Parts: sequence; C-alpha cells; structure tokens
Amino acid sequence: MESLNQIASTSSPAIHFDPISGQLMMSGESYPENTFEFYAPVIGWLKEFIAEKDIAVTLTLELAYLNTGSVKCLMDIFDILEDAYSEGRIVTVIWRYHAKNPRALETAEEFSEDLTLPFHIEAI
Amino acid sequence: MQKISLLSLHQQFEEANIQICFNGPLSHSIIEELGLAVRRYLENETSGSDKMMDVFAVYIEQTQNVRNYAQSKTAQLTSSIYNTITLMIGREESHYVVMSGNVVHQDDVAALIGKIDQLRELDAAGLKALYKEQRRKPVIDGASGAGLGLIDMARKTSQPLAYEVQKIDNNTAFFTLKAVV
Repeated sequence: MESLNQIASTSSPAIHFDPISGQLMMSGESYPENTFEFYAPVIGWLKEFIAEKDIAVTLTLELAYLNTGSVKCLMDIFDILEDAYSEGRIVTVIWRYHAKNPRALETAEEFSEDLTLPFHIEAI
Repeated sequence: MQKISLLSLHQQFEEANIQICFNGPLSHSIIEELGLAVRRYLENETSGSDKMMDVFAVYIEQTQNVRNYAQSKTAQLTSSIYNTITLMIGREESHYVVMSGNVVHQDDVAALIGKIDQLRELDAAGLKALYKEQRRKPVIDGASGAGLGLIDMARKTSQPLAYEVQKIDNNTAFFTLKAVV
C-alpha cells in the first residue's frame, strides 16, 4: 500500500503515514472545512494499514488546536489503534505539545484517560 | 444603501468594549482569516496563551456551527439567510466575551435551547463526562458536526452559556449566543 502524505494548510495538519516503517505523523492545526470529509481518507488508510500490515505502529502528533469535529475523528483513530493494541499489536502514541500551549496538554490528557495503549506526552 | 451612521455604530462598539466585530456571510476562508486576526490580536493582549486559545476555540466552534447549520439548510431557497453571522469579541472586566447571532428556523429553536439549558445545569465534572460520552458516540449519517461544539464552548466559559431568541417572522428567529471566557 502507498504512503499517505498531505501538506499542512492554515486549518489542516500535515500528514505523513508510512506503511513500511509504521511511522504515522500529523502536525499543525486542525479545524478544516468539512472536518469529517478531511479525515475520512485518513481513517480509511489506517483501517487498511492495520488489516494488511502486521508491524508495530507509532503515531506521533503535534497538534496545536483541534476543533470538536477533529477531536471526534482523532477519537476514532485512537479507537482503531486501541483495538489493534488489545489484539497484541505494538502501538505507541506520542503527543508533542508546546510548553506555552497548556490546552494542547489537557487535550492529550483527556484522550489518554480513555485509552489503555502506551500514550506518551512530551513538551517541546 | 440605507443611510447608516458609522459614527454611532463606532461609539456603540467603543462603549460596549467591543474590540472585533464582523457581520456578513461566512465562508471557510473568512473563518480562517478572521481567526488568525483574533489570535494575533489576543497574543498581544493576553499574558497567558490558554485564554487566547479558549477565545479562539469558542470563536471557531461558533462560526463553524453557524456554517454547518446553514449547509444543512441548503435545500431551502432561503439558505443564504442562515449563512450570515453577526460576531463580536469584546471585554467584560477581566473576561473576554464572544457573541454571535444568526438566523435560525423556528422549528429548530426548541432543540437548540433545550441543549443549552441542559448544559447550563452542569458543573465542570458533568460537562467533562458528557463531552467524553458524546465523543465516542457514532456520528449521525450526513451530519457535519460531532455534537460536541456547544459542550466544548460550555467547558471553556467562566459563566454558563447565555442565549436570546428573538422572533423575526413566523418561520425564523434571531438566535444570539454569549460565551464569557
């Protein structure tokens, strides 16, 4: 399967999902127009990747702001990873946030409270 | 154009401590551009960026809510009246106030204010629990939002969300939402 790459815009994150290394990265802002349409191919790619590949996955996020539609989509992404984790896959989430942006830290903590997979929060 | 006094509008804004205001049809690029302006303005004004991010978040949810609502009405000939927002960001003592007004169909008023009334009853822990519950609910087919916007706004405000509904005609009303951050 092919990698998924997207350049960041003012309101949407950069995306680099590599199916060979299992390194998935998203960074930037997330309040796109039609948020669900924006994330549908991202969620579709991840489902296909989990079904087809059997390698460890690391999702690295550096998202400054998420609108509530993006929060919902990210929850769906985490739940796909959580299912894979509970079936024995090696899964790691790394959430990087700017020390000057405490709201990004709180967003990360509220996700991690609802998940059992390894979730690392790092200040940058 | 009808005669309108910009001076009296200006004076009203000054007296009410309104710092940013916008009135007109919304597009995604306007939401982006105005949002960047709001952020730049607040970066200079606020010492802590958590308050800036809260005002920005409330601004985004309010504008995107109006836009999503208008898009749900596109089948109707009068849809453009729903896509216009009157938005104001101002100061009230040590707080920021984000106010928005838009036209809603009378049929939608009861559900909207019912939801806000429910949020007004909840404390921080109750709002957090509701937010988390809603976050895992499947999205209704064809919906443009996750049903989280108002809950998110309520969590970021220092006072319960306030609203006003004023009848325009038999079909429509003007809905004003006030969030104090």
